Amino acid sequence: MSANEITVKLDRVRKSFGDFTAVKDLSLTVRAGRVFGLLGPNGAGKTTTIRMIVNITAPDSGSIELFGRKINFELQNRIGYLPEERGLYRRMKVVDQLRFFAELKNVRGKVIESKIDEWLERVKLPEWKHKRSMDLSKGMQQKIQFITAVLHDPELLILDEPFSGLDPINVELLKEIVLDLKRSGKTIIFSTHQMEVAEKICDDICLLNRSEKVLEGSLREVKRSFGRNAVAVRCEGGDGVLDDPVLVSKVVRHADEAQALLAQGANAQTLLRRLIDSGATIGKFEMIEPSLNDIFITKVTEHA
Amino acid sequence: MRKFLAVVKREYLQRVRAKMFIVSTILLPVVMSLFGVVPALILNIESGRPLRVAVVDETGRMYAPLLAAFEEEESEEPAQSSSPDPQAGRAAQRGTTAMGGMAFEFSEVKADGRTPEQVKADLDRQLLEKQIDGYLVLPPTFIATGQAEFFNNNPSDMISKGNLQSTLNRAVREQRLVDANVDPEKRKALFKGVELQAVKIGAAGEERDSGERFALVFAVGFIMYLAILMYGQVILGAVIEEKETRIAEILFSSVRPFTLMMGKLVGVSLVALTQLVIWGSAFAFFALYGINMLASQGLEASIPNIPFSHYIYFGLFFLLGYFIYATIYALVGSMVTTAQEGGQLAMPIILILVVSFYMFLPVSRSPDSTFSFWVSILPFSAPVAMLVRIVTQTPPFWQIALSLLIGFGSVLLIMWFAARIYRVGMLMYGKRASIPEAWRWVRQA
Repeated sequence: MSANEITVKLDRVRKSFGDFTAVKDLSLTVRAGRVFGLLGPNGAGKTTTIRMIVNITAPDSGSIELFGRKINFELQNRIGYLPEERGLYRRMKVVDQLRFFAELKNVRGKVIESKIDEWLERVKLPEWKHKRSMDLSKGMQQKIQFITAVLHDPELLILDEPFSGLDPINVELLKEIVLDLKRSGKTIIFSTHQMEVAEKICDDICLLNRSEKVLEGSLREVKRSFGRNAVAVRCEGGDGVLDDPVLVSKVVRHADEAQALLAQGANAQTLLRRLIDSGATIGKFEMIEPSLNDIFITKVTEHA
Repeated sequence: MRKFLAVVKREYLQRVRAKMFIVSTILLPVVMSLFGVVPALILNIESGRPLRVAVVDETGRMYAPLLAAFEEEESEEPAQSSSPDPQAGRAAQRGTTAMGGMAFEFSEVKADGRTPEQVKADLDRQLLEKQIDGYLVLPPTFIATGQAEFFNNNPSDMISKGNLQSTLNRAVREQRLVDANVDPEKRKALFKGVELQAVKIGAAGEERDSGERFALVFAVGFIMYLAILMYGQVILGAVIEEKETRIAEILFSSVRPFTLMMGKLVGVSLVALTQLVIWGSAFAFFALYGINMLASQGLEASIPNIPFSHYIYFGLFFLLGYFIYATIYALVGSMVTTAQEGGQLAMPIILILVVSFYMFLPVSRSPDSTFSFWVSILPFSAPVAMLVRIVTQTPPFWQIALSLLIGFGSVLLIMWFAARIYRVGMLMYGKRASIPEAWRWVRQA
């Protein structure tokens, strides 16, 4: 699979519910073997877009192509989908549910049994194989739901807020799995409003706001286009300098460090000089890229 | 198709393995038979000791006919006989009467020179000392007037009083015939009249064996009704299950809504069928056992004389009736978000079911009328109405075929609607659809 091959292509897709337009003329391409972040605040149209990609609902206009073909029910077997609204059959044993979901993807037979064991091992739940899902904790259920999306070895994996509600250890575990899947050549669409997570695993991003695309491109390009206009500072004294609106438009203070977004027209040299002049002891002064979170907030507020 | 089978398999296995299924399969027949057995047991408890009745026969010739009448009633009801030895007691007879459950033990009281008042005083004393349960005074004018008195300490025992009255009725009629010099042959002929009457009711203007056929139609209708009552809610629940557990979206990324809905319908229906077959075999086993018991007592029970094709029609129309109503439950399930809501919305279904069931009355009266035709073609009333027509005046084959075609076509159509509503409803979380909304969703999906 070449890196330029296109897995998903949306062309001027529109979807309305009554008077409300959930997705407005959206065009985007997801390249094979990459992690594509579909980002945006709540209600931006992320879930509706995903539902159209997995053929749960049809667009009012525009076209959707998967693996170079027009979308159809057969293609569903090649997609793994973990929706944000997800559940399990409460009274069904874990192994039975996993088998059932695999059967719905037309995968059956002995292969699936070993796959189930393999995946349960991987998410560290092998001893829960024969337990009913109602006996599992919420986090455990979420990991089982994750398996349902990947068990049939799909070429395209769509994850809608996969880490919400998980503890840091499990977030790390699943994140590693997602990156592993990417390395093995899967295409992954990753939808979230948690920018910190997206920043760590996405290659490409598309930012949606109010049913429209406001930003698209590889993460690196997007960040570069926003320029290096932020500074990470660790210093003692000189506090007043960072609060000067002429120099700094916004400052975020962490425990021992502050991140300052430079104001329009100001430059880092001036800031450094002012800090030294004010008698501050500087431990760190580093130009940084804006975080995806900053970009997100900037774009969304400017769009509003 | 394989996905469809996967859904069917899951629905079936999950339900059949459930404890509820096993418990209800065993418990229902037990409860049903308790309903049958317990009342009989209770009656048996009360009739355990026959009612001791002393008879003061002032006419001098009524005691023997009374005993005879009593004996005759007993022999007419052999199945209900609770006393195997009719000769028990001194000069007394025991047995059950036609009304069932109540046995009497008669004894004659002779005046032996005492005045009637003395006899009465003596019996009053015996009644108080509980040596007897009551006494019957037949005055000399009894045969003419039919006026008699029954003294007991439990005047509210209507059953005993009624039984006694009917026995006396028989006896006095018999005696009047004897007095009128009607010869024994003629008397028998007159009594045979009672049996004739029974046949006339059964026939009701139709050929004799259509009574059995009606009973079968009724049985099919009843089982259908039972299956829908029990499994309609299960289907409703099965359709709502994925909404309540929020699995619907995962499923729809793998399987078409229509496939899912049909899979659920068929899966649950196979569960219903399994349960009915288990009960049916248990019933058949006991029925065969019962027939053998009856046969050993010299009674014959036969399988109704019905053409083989009718059995196939019974099967097909049973399935049609079941599925038509089951799909309505599925439709309701697709519109609501919780089982409670569904329960309320499903109420009218039962009403339609009952009304359709009663269509068998007008249809059986005139099976060839235009009304009957339409009733037996429309899907909701077709199952019972068409069966009634088939067993009375079998309509042309095209009508039967048309009825089945429209019926099963409607099942698919309703399921298609349900699938569309389900899909759109799932996308509009947490909202129950009004009917116009549901219609809009059908067109929109």
